Amino acid sequence: MTLFSLARKNIQRNLSNYFLYIASMVFSIVIYFTFVTLKYSDTQGSSKQIQGLMSGSSVVLLFFIVIFMAYSNSFFMKKRKKEVALYSLLGVRKQKIGFMLFFENIVIGLLSLGLGIGLGFFVSQGLFMILVRLMGNEVVTQLTFSMQALMNTAGIFAVLFLLTSLQGYRVIYQFKLIDLFHAEKQGEQIPRASIVSVIFGVALLAFGYYTSAADIFTSNIWRFFTALGTPLVVIAMTIAGTYLLFHSVSVFVLTTLKKATAWSWKGLNLIGVSQLLYRIRANAKSLSIIAILSATTITAGGGVFGVYYNAETTVRQMLPNTFMWKGEAVSFSQVDVLYNESLAVKNLRVDNEHAFFEYTLLKESDYNRLAKWQGKDEQLHVAEGSAIVLDATYDERFSHDFTGENFKLANGDAFHVDKMYTDSVLNFQPAGTVLVVNDDEFATTDAEAVTMQVVGLNDDLKQKAVSKEIYQQLSSEQQDSFSSVPQSYEESLAMVGSLLFVGSFLGLVFLAATGSIIYFKVLTEAEEDQAKYAILNKIGVNSKQILKTVAGQVAVIFSAPLLIGIVHSTFALIALSQLLNMNITKPVIIWMLIYSAIYAIYYVVTVRSFYKIVRQETKS
Amino acid sequence: MTSLLQVQNVGKTYGKGANTFTALSNITFTVEKGEFVGVMGPSGAGKSTLLNVLATIDTPTTGGITIGDVNLTHMKDAELADFRRDNLGFIFQDYNLLDSLTVRENIVLPLAIAKVPAKDIHKKVNHIAQLFGISDLLDKYPYQISGGQKQRTASSRALVTEPKLIFADEPTGALDSKSATDLLESLSDLNQSQAATIMMVTHDAFAASFCQRILFIQDGQLSQEIHRGMQTRKQFFQEILQVLASIGGGVNDVI
Repeated sequence: MTLFSLARKNIQRNLSNYFLYIASMVFSIVIYFTFVTLKYSDTQGSSKQIQGLMSGSSVVLLFFIVIFMAYSNSFFMKKRKKEVALYSLLGVRKQKIGFMLFFENIVIGLLSLGLGIGLGFFVSQGLFMILVRLMGNEVVTQLTFSMQALMNTAGIFAVLFLLTSLQGYRVIYQFKLIDLFHAEKQGEQIPRASIVSVIFGVALLAFGYYTSAADIFTSNIWRFFTALGTPLVVIAMTIAGTYLLFHSVSVFVLTTLKKATAWSWKGLNLIGVSQLLYRIRANAKSLSIIAILSATTITAGGGVFGVYYNAETTVRQMLPNTFMWKGEAVSFSQVDVLYNESLAVKNLRVDNEHAFFEYTLLKESDYNRLAKWQGKDEQLHVAEGSAIVLDATYDERFSHDFTGENFKLANGDAFHVDKMYTDSVLNFQPAGTVLVVNDDEFATTDAEAVTMQVVGLNDDLKQKAVSKEIYQQLSSEQQDSFSSVPQSYEESLAMVGSLLFVGSFLGLVFLAATGSIIYFKVLTEAEEDQAKYAILNKIGVNSKQILKTVAGQVAVIFSAPLLIGIVHSTFALIALSQLLNMNITKPVIIWMLIYSAIYAIYYVVTVRSFYKIVRQETKS
Repeated sequence: MTSLLQVQNVGKTYGKGANTFTALSNITFTVEKGEFVGVMGPSGAGKSTLLNVLATIDTPTTGGITIGDVNLTHMKDAELADFRRDNLGFIFQDYNLLDSLTVRENIVLPLAIAKVPAKDIHKKVNHIAQLFGISDLLDKYPYQISGGQKQRTASSRALVTEPKLIFADEPTGALDSKSATDLLESLSDLNQSQAATIMMVTHDAFAASFCQRILFIQDGQLSQEIHRGMQTRKQFFQEILQVLASIGGGVNDVI
């Protein structure tokens, strides 16, 4: 029997054992192949930015896949140590065992590569469809099988499989036979928390949170580190704080809990707490990485989803009319028309020392008519000599608040500004900031008269055809002043939609990978703990109680990084929403719920497998 | 008065169809409250199987076991676990201490599982630790103490709940002779002073000589039974050696 056939038979016989490993390999390949397929596809020739985005993301993805594969490979190797030990005991040379494992890995690699690429092709079709939808395109195109993507994927994974095979080789050579048979029996050190690192960890996190929640434009911290430096400082502090949190604060909390005998000496609490005490300290690095990854995913995903969710609102805020342009009316198809009229406005020019500003002067009666069409209830009655300012780009931190001031014109006249509104009735393009005055005042104001066309359509987001029809009839000067809701909406969707796609795609991959990493880790530990639960069963702990303590322990391991990730990202998103001046609470909460729900599935699966492993021992 | 432990025609068969192996057959005996009973026999005779079956860790294929007035035959897994918790104590050859708990916590464990209030737990743990002379070790971890100390810890854990019946499976198997003697003396004291009922499996004649009565098992069946009566321990030890020699295969085990 050759080594190759031994390796092949090994795989055939233990297929269920291999299933998890192969599944995670296939998963990695599917994800990567899909991504590069989308990257190389030139169906979306126009969108250079998407391809740039894809290239950047595929590097991140690759980095991530390497970590993920290293984890699953080491888990797999651990599971097979006994088998290796048996060969070694029977007198097979290490060299040969290594060779066999190497072959085996290659077989698994080729198998997963074939499966992964096949599956990846179909998945990429589906995802491409979603991408197109998210970008607001209705036309569905087909993806072709990309040779380039195939070569790229096959090349990269060949290298990765070679590396993991070598990793396996190293395991064989490093371990002594005696170690292979006995799991480490030496006493584990009792973790102790130093008070200094506890305080330091809490302080780092508190500072990071405080800074993120502070007002970016007035806070001294932001001024001190500058707008570019502060996020870096905050991220560095948060990462360090997270690590200390898992390394020391957790130990501190658990030790305190353990000392509270009224609680800990009840049922299996003692077991749960002391198991966690070891696990969390030993896994501090992994748990911090997972917390940070979750935070990144939730922040990025939540932020992008928030922007996507707000895309329509943003467009409507800036463009209250479906179409608007400077100049004469044109004829277009009259379906769905709500209103279509020429407005006589005036262009106010205000100079100061450095620059000049242009404002649009609007009649009160025109305002009231438009406001009614646009569904605004309020009607204006502006007093003689006064004006109301409409500024859709108003931001309390940057913009000048005119309320109560006199608005001076170039010719020396002045309006007293009664009120300021942040929603306009004219599109920001071409009208800009608008001053509403009463009709008499309008007639007497000396300024350049301008005609503007305002058009309102029903179902305006879908009126792209009309938008084109009008646009083509305009002179190039008029085209510059043209603004269109469907067109702006489409542009922002194309941008944000592809961001959302890449964001949620990467987010999902990160989620799946972090979930699997915890799964692997917890199950490895479950195997080490088998004997402990067998003892517990012997001294009279029934299965229900064991399930309870297992579920509790796994819940802590799962929820700790998730909760910390969510809290981190909440603060990051507070800073982000300040920066964007956007309310993204609702989409962010939706995003977090989805994330947590998928995480919860991993939790349930892990508890079930953990329990199965633990019960195996007591049953036999 | 009924006996504490009644074993009726217990048999245990492994495997199915033609490939069966009979580990125990037709075993019947009783143990009274306050007895210290030893079970001896050559390797593979079924000693440990018998103990596991009696200790409800394993289930017999035939026959019935009654402890106190509870018939264990038809109990379910969860009920058996609860029964073990409330009535039985175990001492194993490899101690079966939990590494992640201190000596104190290991002893606390069965009480915590039985939901004894923390205040009472303190009292009981201190008392039992004193009995076994491990009061100074309570805050150490199992890997910091010697084998003999570990076995005292395990014994404290088994006895702290004041179980009706204590099962010991080769408790001295992994101990040096000094530690073994100390442990056996402690168990013997406990048996006499507190009327604790102990059943001990051993293949070591010296350990067995601490018992009052010894059951010998051979090929899965009870072969003999001897009583210490009024003999000194040394005389009883000689008698045990004679029985072992007569049933054969024992010489190896003695040395």
